[in-house]
Amino acid sequence: MRAGTLRSTAYDDVPYTRGGTVDRTEVGALVQSAVDGDAAAWKALVEGMSPLVWSVVRAHRLSDADGHEVFQTVWFRFAQHLGRIREPDKAGAWLASTARHECLKVLRGLARLTLTDDPQVLDRASQERTPEETLIESEEAADRAERVRRLWQELDGLGERCRQLLRVLMASPPPSYGEISAALGIAVGSIGPLRQRCLRRLRARMDARGAL
Amino acid sequence: MNDENPVPGRPGTDPDAFADALLEEELRQAAAVLDPVPAELLQSALEAFALHDLDARLAELTFDSLVDALPVRGVVDVSRMLTFRAGETTVDVEVTPDGLIGQVLPPQPARIEVLGGPQSVRPVTADTLGRFTSETPPAGPFALRLSTGAEVIVTEWLRA
Repeated sequence: MRAGTLRSTAYDDVPYTRGGTVDRTEVGALVQSAVDGDAAAWKALVEGMSPLVWSVVRAHRLSDADGHEVFQTVWFRFAQHLGRIREPDKAGAWLASTARHECLKVLRGLARLTLTDDPQVLDRASQERTPEETLIESEEAADRAERVRRLWQELDGLGERCRQLLRVLMASPPPSYGEISAALGIAVGSIGPLRQRCLRRLRARMDARGAL
Repeated sequence: MNDENPVPGRPGTDPDAFADALLEEELRQAAAVLDPVPAELLQSALEAFALHDLDARLAELTFDSLVDALPVRGVVDVSRMLTFRAGETTVDVEVTPDGLIGQVLPPQPARIEVLGGPQSVRPVTADTLGRFTSETPPAGPFALRLSTGAEVIVTEWLRA
């Protein structure tokens, strides 16, 4: 059974090939198995693709409530469309694109209602320590955690395009450029240069803070 | 293949490109710790497998006033108008703060349910012409399941 191996395959074996044929073929096979009723294949799809869908939601800065509903809508619709998806090996791009369109609808709906600048819409993930963080005991690990927190904060200062791109880029396993393109509505060819520019800008900001 | 930062003549050996890759990986780990997919959402996506229904016909969204209609200046609280289509059958739905109002076209008797998730099914009253109302506004994603004489039609999942 290949089910359940999606994450490790994409993450460990081909981390920087970005949607090289190996793992994407596997996605197609998982979709086919799920169509045939294989719950383990569905589970592998959910576990392998949820971080991508979540990253698209977060890249669009929805409120928690809206973001949760978009996430659910995307997966409900994916389940509904399973047997009808034309290119099963591009299911990641299908999910990313559906998430993007639902996010844009939410933003459009909000704009239509009022022009409030809801502070809740801002990311606020770094306020409290997660259980994982509280487990950290050694000083070294604490330094690392501090650097991670700073990285997270610096993302907000990068400008919207970079913040969006990096938030989707950092999904796990690493999304393909086709998926990133579907997630953000930008051309595949512009992703590489933008990625480089944004990562270097982020690194410069970290250097400026003396955090390296 | 597919090198992100191709350096002419020396692919893959650019120290900056290597640092980029490291930083990206660091971000990936940060996201996993600081902003993971909420557990309840993962669970909900897992349960969504139950929504995979081979027998039902899918009615696709063909009109959504949120996308397809021009905003009316000065008018707030406009209802959301939706149209779904499956072959010759269309379903018009108006989403108001008080619930749903809709009609199946061509007019025909149908048993209609509002789905709110894998476990949530609520029947709504429909008349012999396929007109229906629901007093409960959908909270979150919803779909309509229509059983006409011959077939079952489910509308695309949508966030109200």
